[in-house]
Amino acid sequence: MSYVFYPGCSLDSTGKGYRLSTEAVARALGLDMPELPDWTCCGSTAAHQSNSLLSLALPAKNLLAASGKTMAVCCAACYSRLKVANHQIANAPDTRGRVAGVLGADYDGSTPVKHMLEIMRDEVGLDEIAGRVRVPLTGLRVACYYGCLLVRPPDVMRFDDPENPTLLDRVVAAAGAEPLEWPHKTECCGASHSITKVAIVERLSHDILAMARDSGADCIVTACPLCQLNLDLRQRDIEARFGDRLGLPILYFTQLLGLALGLEPDDLGLGSLMVDPLPMFAKKGIVARPGSGAAASAAR
Amino acid sequence: MTSAAQGLISPQLAQQVEAAAGARLTLCFQCQKCTSGCPIAAGTDIKPHELVRLVQLGERDLVLSSRMIWECTSCQTCVTRCPQAVELPAIIDALRRLSRDSRKVNPDTAVPVFNDIFLGAVRQMGRVHELGLMAAFKLRTKSFFQDAGKLPAMLRKGKLALRPPFVRGRSQRARTFRRVEGSGSEKR
Repeated sequence: MSYVFYPGCSLDSTGKGYRLSTEAVARALGLDMPELPDWTCCGSTAAHQSNSLLSLALPAKNLLAASGKTMAVCCAACYSRLKVANHQIANAPDTRGRVAGVLGADYDGSTPVKHMLEIMRDEVGLDEIAGRVRVPLTGLRVACYYGCLLVRPPDVMRFDDPENPTLLDRVVAAAGAEPLEWPHKTECCGASHSITKVAIVERLSHDILAMARDSGADCIVTACPLCQLNLDLRQRDIEARFGDRLGLPILYFTQLLGLALGLEPDDLGLGSLMVDPLPMFAKKGIVARPGSGAAASAAR
Repeated sequence: MTSAAQGLISPQLAQQVEAAAGARLTLCFQCQKCTSGCPIAAGTDIKPHELVRLVQLGERDLVLSSRMIWECTSCQTCVTRCPQAVELPAIIDALRRLSRDSRKVNPDTAVPVFNDIFLGAVRQMGRVHELGLMAAFKLRTKSFFQDAGKLPAMLRKGKLALRPPFVRGRSQRARTFRRVEGSGSEKR
């Protein structure tokens, strides 16, 4: 299958570590994913709250430009908006006509959209990933956090079981780590209220962080830049507000996978995380102790 | 005096919302499954199952000026679990638009301001420049100190691109936005 990469706006700034690690992992696994030239924003929450036609036209413009290829997506919010647009345009001729009217070009809703997790499963294969692991993450207890938009609404997303998804768990297990059973896989972190109403994000994200800790997690992995940002950037404020000690590193799944494949922390953007994961990885013997020179794995 | 006499009750509200949302809300039988799973129900003014009932009853002002329609995180849990497939997220999106059109937006929320800045950036630049978005939002809402302490670390860690994006096709984007605004159909 031929891919074209749609990074989305977050991956150019707050989600920089997600972009770096995705590109590094894709290179290591031999995936060719050139970036879609002149891609534009999917419209995100702002568009669907403001104007439903705009919320379809913005993704459709990109999907049309990617025509003939499969769109590879990392951000759960972009993934959701692109798939919703495909669903609505493909299933309602009048919607397709109205989108064509504002775009000035007809799009039929047929460009396939895949999340990087699905590409790991379908294109690379989980057995192949397991076979390429150079630094087994043995003993690392990971809470796999899916959030909302990868899995819901299930009839549009068709990603995984909406109440108990397992794809991220299986990718983490292929990397040699131990995915945990825990109940908050698909709870909401508060999403874009990160800017408009932080108190909501702090309460919801605290529930998720505390549950992960109480379930025995060494870290949380996410497949969404917004989830990662809320759990990571706001963690210190959350600790202060709720008088709770958390200290949980929040990684993009591509960072964890990259470490297992033997890539260097710097090439995976680990330095962009607010809660530094290196002390935890050092304790687990996955990377060398901070300050002990090279970031090379102790296992090598 | 009844609410209807005061013009607060609108018997057409349910039909209006169904048309704007492309969703059915008369199917709801008040099982409250939506509210059980809603992440914001406990902290907001109207619970999801109450919202549906209030729309059915035509309580226009109460619904359109609620905090709930803006505090909803669009997490899609309600519609995922609804036994009647009532598409609450689409209904709430329609109520947000109605709320703005009829100038009933709850003064407590900054979401419409955020959305306007966000979409203005997409129209102009094609992508969202997060640093510029945050600065513009703080200027408009005068919330300069919220998260100001996080800026140095975010900059140090390269989490904020300083340079705004440049994407070709500005006139085409402007044309799309103009056509969307001009389309003015019932279901926006």
